[in-house]
Amino acid sequence: MSWRSIPMKFPGTCTVCKKKIEVGEVALWAKGLGVKHQSCAEADVELDCAVCGGKAGCNQCEFMDDCDRTKVSQLCICKKCYEAKDSIVLYREAVSRNYKFPPQ
Amino acid sequence: MMWSEKYRPKSLLEMIGNEEAKESFVKWVANWTRGAKPILLVGPPGVGKTTMALLVAKQFGYDLVSLNASDVRNKQRLEEILNPALGNLGLLGKIMIFVDEVDGIHGRADFGGVSALLQILKEPTVPIVLAANSESSDKMKDIRKASVTIRMMPIPPRLLRLYLESILQKEGESLRVGTLIKLVLDSRGDIRSMLNSAQALVGGFEPQTEKSFETTDVESAVNAFFKARSRDEAMAILFSLRMDPQEKINAFYSSIITSHLSKNDMSEMLDIVSEADILYGRIMREQQWRLLRYLDSILVKLYRKDAAVRYSQYNLPWPLITRLRWDGKAIKDLETALSRRMHVSRSSFATFYLPYLLRCVKNKTLEMDLDPAQTEVIQKELSSAK
Repeated sequence: MSWRSIPMKFPGTCTVCKKKIEVGEVALWAKGLGVKHQSCAEADVELDCAVCGGKAGCNQCEFMDDCDRTKVSQLCICKKCYEAKDSIVLYREAVSRNYKFPPQ
Repeated sequence: MMWSEKYRPKSLLEMIGNEEAKESFVKWVANWTRGAKPILLVGPPGVGKTTMALLVAKQFGYDLVSLNASDVRNKQRLEEILNPALGNLGLLGKIMIFVDEVDGIHGRADFGGVSALLQILKEPTVPIVLAANSESSDKMKDIRKASVTIRMMPIPPRLLRLYLESILQKEGESLRVGTLIKLVLDSRGDIRSMLNSAQALVGGFEPQTEKSFETTDVESAVNAFFKARSRDEAMAILFSLRMDPQEKINAFYSSIITSHLSKNDMSEMLDIVSEADILYGRIMREQQWRLLRYLDSILVKLYRKDAAVRYSQYNLPWPLITRLRWDGKAIKDLETALSRRMHVSRSSFATFYLPYLLRCVKNKTLEMDLDPAQTEVIQKELSSAK
């Protein structure tokens, strides 16, 4: 699934906010999935915390304005896990639990 | 030693971000059978494409035959390198081929490279891994069709911050929170660039102001270079001035020749610029991009304490530029008007007619009905011809 930014040739309905998207407006389109406003797409995406498995809390993140959540790797770390002791070790342990990598 | 090398991950677990991409890649290598489609890793620079290929090859016991952007990758060269590897499998053991920056195969130097590569991709007898920064160009279409794509994304900023803090901790260094955040944001998901910038900052480059020249224009950078307090500071400015190398050389050239320098200084500086230009010419001609690292080492020789050089955009003295620009325009207008009268093209008029016209006007053998502006241009041309 890849959302592409396109200028609208035909009117459409945003899959997130259900409002109309007018001809000429720039929106995100994916084959078979429909269209959505760019602003809706950004608000829609929240990264997951690799350590605790919950949401990363992007709305409270210090990088909220600069992190394009639609274009970054989808696993991050929430504030609580980030502030924990040895958070990088916790991150690596969580990744080794959840993903299958070859033995070292 | 550069931190980006010192802390290059030793295993996949040490890499951060793109966990799903890593898992897919590992699965592909683990399940690889003869004839399976090659893999294409697509992602921006510094997200770990090359590191991932190196680590997976090592962990699965493959010998990596690798071709990167600094190699000439035309048809002949690709066949020379890859055919022996593909043909002597029993002899060479387990081989994995890795072609880095495959989207950079182009131009005269790499002529026929893409088609030769496609031929190899069609019937792979060994695992083939390709890496590219972008998949959107036309030449990537065929490569994309012939391979399975794994996309790698920039690393989220908070994860980058976590990683950078862990490296700083290992090094026993620290940076102010504001600086840390700026470094993370400037890197735009590129771990290598973030580590290099952090190491430069910790190492004492730009320590007082923490102002980066990456964001300033060429004018400020060239002026700062000649105002630098030490050669090291000048070198740091050069390193951080990220622009087209030819433009960098041009900026120094135009600044030097329009500055008031002694003949000896001017001659020495122009020799250095010439040396840099020769190197860049060779890089372009032979596509030896690995030589680019020496360009700044040559240009830093231009540094002299309190040198009276300031940035100038133009490589000709100002009176000459003014004359070329304004008089040129006036002559062009005159040529356009008179060429219509003579029923010839403007260039024909300028080449064949104008010298005779000037001579006739000078000898007063021809009288023309011209407007005052055109007469003035002709008079000016006549006076400069004297």
